[in-house]
Amino acid sequence: MAIRHWRVKDRYYRLIGSRCTECGAECFPPVYRCRKCGSEKIEDREMPQSGKIVTYTQLHEPLPGFEAQAPFYLAVVELDNGAKMLTQLVDSTDESVKTGAKVVATVRRARVDGDSGQITYGYKFRVT
Amino acid sequence: MYLMQSKERAAIQGYGAYVPYYRLPTTEIAKVWKGGGSGPNVEKAVAAMDEDTVTMAIEAGRYAMKMAGTERLGAVFVGTESKPYAVKPTSTIVAQALGQHHTLAADLEFACKAGTEAMQIVTGLVGSGMIEAGLAIGMDTAQGRPGDDLEYTAASGGAAYVIGRKDKKSAAVIDCSTSFVSDTGDFWRRAHERYPRHLSRFTGEPAYFHHIENSVNTLFKETGHKPSDFKYAVFHQPNPRFPVEVATRLGFTMEQIKTGLLNPLIGNTYAGSSPIGLAAVLDEASPGDKILLASFGSGAGSDAFCIEVLDGIAATRGVNPTVKSMMERSTRIDYSTYSKFRDKLHK
Repeated sequence: MAIRHWRVKDRYYRLIGSRCTECGAECFPPVYRCRKCGSEKIEDREMPQSGKIVTYTQLHEPLPGFEAQAPFYLAVVELDNGAKMLTQLVDSTDESVKTGAKVVATVRRARVDGDSGQITYGYKFRVT
Repeated sequence: MYLMQSKERAAIQGYGAYVPYYRLPTTEIAKVWKGGGSGPNVEKAVAAMDEDTVTMAIEAGRYAMKMAGTERLGAVFVGTESKPYAVKPTSTIVAQALGQHHTLAADLEFACKAGTEAMQIVTGLVGSGMIEAGLAIGMDTAQGRPGDDLEYTAASGGAAYVIGRKDKKSAAVIDCSTSFVSDTGDFWRRAHERYPRHLSRFTGEPAYFHHIENSVNTLFKETGHKPSDFKYAVFHQPNPRFPVEVATRLGFTMEQIKTGLLNPLIGNTYAGSSPIGLAAVLDEASPGDKILLASFGSGAGSDAFCIEVLDGIAATRGVNPTVKSMMERSTRIDYSTYSKFRDKLHK
């Protein structure tokens, strides 16, 4: 497993993002400086587990490690607090994936390391 | 006395089930391997290729914690025989995803009864006052050798229970339980083997029936309860026939077992089998209803529970998707897709 992933696994497991204590803006992934007001007074905040699809595409030629899952949907999802993220969609039919569709977060296998066999888990979303 | 009963009563504060989205009709298996596919087991739940016991346990655990309204767990136990790692706990990954660190975490293995074992242990920890609340999960991505009888039923899914001290918010009290075990070689999987093996004629009388009848009859004898005292009964369901047969032998009716009998539509979810049957019953039970829960694990053993639904059940309605709704939200796949999802095909 990439050490980088291990250090930030709460981000991938629990959608831990940031909240600005000055203006209240929330964002994901976490930031050191508020994107809205520039304040450095930032705290960890668990993001809402639901949102809606802003835009999406279907991927037929994914990055190495994800070939077996192709084709799959990638979407920009806006969470209920306004934070946006790029994410994979699972368990969703062609008919259900559309702009504005409601989605909820889930934890799935992201990839398995080819040499060590270690499993990396992370968030994905499914249409409700 | 063989009855296990905590001095301070432990109760189910929240529960959550998980049934994956995909279904494999048994007719698909019969097309490839000839035979079967026309019996009462219609289809089985299949985990997607990016799902495993960890991901499904997290889903069910989140539902259970949400219903219980708790953010602190003194224990996280995952009962399963399909751990993603042979060495590295499933429970620590689940605990991390649920935000739990100061907790006792462990994986339990006892074939199909590891989930109810987890419930008994958490009940003991709560009942003794060692912890306020703990999470017991029974979850599996069960595998059957291609073409084997088991492939028609071996399925994915399960349920999680937050068990805490009985109070006004409790959904159901775990009144007492019994266990019965023996060294019986009905079903096993040696280290490094991919699929389990079974001795067909051993799986019935000396294994499933002998152990469940012993655990349940001991419960009856020591509590004075009789089948008619229970509104519902849930038995481990390796196939559609065994739970009906054992229920009849013990004096229960179809009316009492039909709500928790899910095998025909989702298959045998192994350690998740009886726990998810209980979840389906809790989805519709009313305060005062008594539930008999009896698991079976090969190797072999059975745990029997007497559970009584409390007034707090009313507040659980609508918090999480019901088992029925999870079963309905599904799509059918063919044997080829199933083979890819469950790692039976390699490039």
